[in-house]
Amino acid sequence: MQRAFKSGRYSETIDVRDFIQTNYTPYEGDGAFLAPPTERTKRLMEKVNALLKAETDKGGVLDVDTEHVSSLLTYPAGYIDRENELIVGLQTDAPLKRGVNPFGGIRMARQACEAYGYKLSELVETEVSYKTTHNDAVFHVYTDEMKAVRHAGLLTGLPDAYGRGRIIGDYRRVALYGVDKLIEEKRKDKCERGELPMDEQNIRILEELYKQIDFLQKLKEMALLYGIDISAPARNAREAIQWTYFAYLAAIKEQNGAAMSLGRVSTFFDIYIERDLADGVLTESEAQELIDDFVIKCRVTRQLRTPEYNEMFGGDPTWTTESIGGMGTDGRTLVTKTSYRILHTLYNLGAAPEPNLTVLWSEALPEPFKKYCAKVSVDTDSIQYENDDLMRPVYGDDYGIACCVSAMKIGKQMQFFGARCNLAKLLLLTLNGGRDEKSGLQIAPEGKRFTGKLDYEEVRAAYSKYMAWLCRLYVRTLNVIHYMHDKYAYEKIQMALHDTDVERFLACGVAGLSVVTDSLSAIKYAEVTPVYGENGLIGGFERKGDFPKYGNDDDRVDTIAAELVKEFSEELKKTPAYRGAKHTLSVLTITSNVAYGKKTGATPDGRAAGEPFAPGANPMHERDTSGALASLNSVAKLSYDCCRDGISNTFSIVPSALGESEEDRAENLADMLDGYFAQGAHHLNVNVFDRSKLIAAMEHPELYPSVTIRVSGYAVNFHKLSKAHQLEVIKRTYHGRM
Amino acid sequence: MCDKNEREAEISASRKNNKSADDGVAEDRVRVGYIDSVYCGSGVDGAGLRCVVFFAGCNLRCPFCHNPETLFQKGKAVLAEELVQKLRRYKPYFRRGGVTLSGGEPFLQKEFCLALARLLREENIRVAFETNGHVCDPALIAAGELICDVKNQETDDLSVYERFFAECVRQGKLPRVTNVLVPGKNDREEKLRALARLVRQYFPRGNIRFLPFVKLCEDKYAALGRPFPYADVRECEKEDVLRAEQIVNEVFSQKI
Repeated sequence: MQRAFKSGRYSETIDVRDFIQTNYTPYEGDGAFLAPPTERTKRLMEKVNALLKAETDKGGVLDVDTEHVSSLLTYPAGYIDRENELIVGLQTDAPLKRGVNPFGGIRMARQACEAYGYKLSELVETEVSYKTTHNDAVFHVYTDEMKAVRHAGLLTGLPDAYGRGRIIGDYRRVALYGVDKLIEEKRKDKCERGELPMDEQNIRILEELYKQIDFLQKLKEMALLYGIDISAPARNAREAIQWTYFAYLAAIKEQNGAAMSLGRVSTFFDIYIERDLADGVLTESEAQELIDDFVIKCRVTRQLRTPEYNEMFGGDPTWTTESIGGMGTDGRTLVTKTSYRILHTLYNLGAAPEPNLTVLWSEALPEPFKKYCAKVSVDTDSIQYENDDLMRPVYGDDYGIACCVSAMKIGKQMQFFGARCNLAKLLLLTLNGGRDEKSGLQIAPEGKRFTGKLDYEEVRAAYSKYMAWLCRLYVRTLNVIHYMHDKYAYEKIQMALHDTDVERFLACGVAGLSVVTDSLSAIKYAEVTPVYGENGLIGGFERKGDFPKYGNDDDRVDTIAAELVKEFSEELKKTPAYRGAKHTLSVLTITSNVAYGKKTGATPDGRAAGEPFAPGANPMHERDTSGALASLNSVAKLSYDCCRDGISNTFSIVPSALGESEEDRAENLADMLDGYFAQGAHHLNVNVFDRSKLIAAMEHPELYPSVTIRVSGYAVNFHKLSKAHQLEVIKRTYHGRM
Repeated sequence: MCDKNEREAEISASRKNNKSADDGVAEDRVRVGYIDSVYCGSGVDGAGLRCVVFFAGCNLRCPFCHNPETLFQKGKAVLAEELVQKLRRYKPYFRRGGVTLSGGEPFLQKEFCLALARLLREENIRVAFETNGHVCDPALIAAGELICDVKNQETDDLSVYERFFAECVRQGKLPRVTNVLVPGKNDREEKLRALARLVRQYFPRGNIRFLPFVKLCEDKYAALGRPFPYADVRECEKEDVLRAEQIVNEVFSQKI
């Protein structure tokens, strides 16, 4: 007889958090219980590795289905190894075969096919030609000014030609309640709203609810293609994982959003696993096998991208971000044995960038778990850390990370992804009186052209003026994009797995923070004079004297950075956001720091034209020379209060500087995380290796197929990065002890 | 950047102003020292994570010196208080770690060392000294944890360490003994045995940590316009260290 779960509020209404809190078993021990991969897992992994190699050999894309438009019911069931899979379901009918999703924009889909030697079928072209895509619609409305700043690269990476992503469906709901119950609840919501005044807003919600219900039904049918009925709740661990995975699979079949994150599933799974273990129907080895198999599925997730897209977001990422651990608001840890099991996949299956394993770090985490995480970091460079003590008061204890650093309450909050603006380029625009330093076009209101020795106060005041101009334009541009995305590329299954009343964020971002900070510091503490070219534009700068640099725990310059993000955040809030969204801000570049650098002229800090920026909130390469902790302290000064969409810091330290023994390295890394986060810092990507290892991996990729590194909020296989991205990573600071 | 002379004048003025305070802490705060730099974030200069203060000036001229910039330059003048204010910002990282005073030779600046040690202790920050063992001063030895690097690359005479270790033993202190292992200079078996016997004589439960000789510092010598005396010596490999450790372990495991 199977034990029943403890009942609670979740039995009455949709409330996964309540189910977790009522039923989970915190785990404070170490990883000694973990099981190695089974023979079955090893065999399956061999097949996957062969497929991954074939994909690399074919130039990064194994196969494309050009005949269909990807959705839930487009393809027949697909398998890696039908007899040996415990968790089933693929995006198309074969592993690593990519589907086409033209709703973001047909041009992108067409170019993506062509880039890899495929041609989009007439069938798909014709089918889409009768429809307005999200991309079409955005450009129907964009103003000339919006197009100009987009073209100049002042606003870049905007989700106006691909799915916006960064929405986490509460995929666990499918396992806990079964699809029928979810449909019933959505029907109730629709009935209730049918009685409200039929204004534009309400009609839109009613139409969205219709789409959500329609896709929940399709989700059920999709599972039936695999012979599995998910209309009722999952009855055991394997079903809970399978149901949840089906829900996630539906999302990635329907949408090609940049970041399609998983949420926070491991502790949820643990409840089912614990019950099966207690009932004697599952062994530890079998439990690990289920998690291993699930993770394999997450590792073969793919989307079809264009080369331009890859230039922004290198390494073919999917941001299947899984948030692990953290503490509950009641003081119990949310670490369970399955928190360990999912990290352990990095040993059982080998290091890999996806899923994007994200540890929610708290000072109060059980010590053995802290040590285990640190050891995994030292061994695999595959995990990132985010400050649970900082986020829990804001989001409670059932939030997840979308993409790299974007926190949201799962199933209750979503965001409108807004990419980012180039702060360094904005400074050059300011100095050039509103003209683009590359093209010379007057893209912003005309202002004073700065000549002679630059006066800090004057430059800073002018910069503020242009910042205000850009922030207003930025929010207005995003409003257009998200209105159209809702209208033409609405996330039907993901939103079906949210509450109907959802809270929205407008997630804006900045790039080039360290470049503009150091530039302003140079203007303030050294002597900087612009040098004009024959075209009447500033081509470079003459600088006399040294200046304090961001990344050395020097308040003279670090406060410049802290003030910049505060001001930017405040300026954004002055322009209302679409659908009542709350403005948030991230300091995150992903790998677009390379593309941004390319589009930006020489800057007063001494950075040459075209040279990459540092990623995210990182100090500029090799300028943080006062040691790892000084560098961390500088970044920790940026306030999460004004950067609620996250502050990304990617950090590399050489093993020999971190500690003498493996044990010391893990302990010192744990101390480092405690110290950094105790100061209110938000995020840390940790790499522990020597630069020489990457140089070797760049020169002989065949010898290092699984070198995984954290780049900026996510991890990649190093060999999948473009040469430009590889060189930038190699140029970063590797904290040693000289 | 601040002009050095101006800076020193400023400091001496500030010392004068504070001199009236007869309190020892006030005296410590305005103590001036000369340092080369501060490096925040080492996992290999004592227990846990460390901030390392590199003192300027040294009484030795070791031909393998890794920090030649501390040998030939006067360094920056700093007030103890100023330095402590900087270091206390790293307290959140010091669960097991703390501050290491290295160099150069920190023990050459006795009063400054003692002042720093007292001020840091007041902040509940652990202090370690990394010394060459040639300054055998009971007060300094008592002031913090000790890392003693034995310099036997160019000599077989280790008597100076006998005095230093004897004082450590008298105070009940167990220093962490290190030795830069330089191939062809101090890696001969009899030399390693002599070193091991010396350490064992004073600290039967101690050990020796070998630091492999590497030439990362070549650029520093070039920048100083000075030749790197050990430029032609080969770097120490992992196997060299393992071999040395084995020999030392043999000595330590022999019955006395």
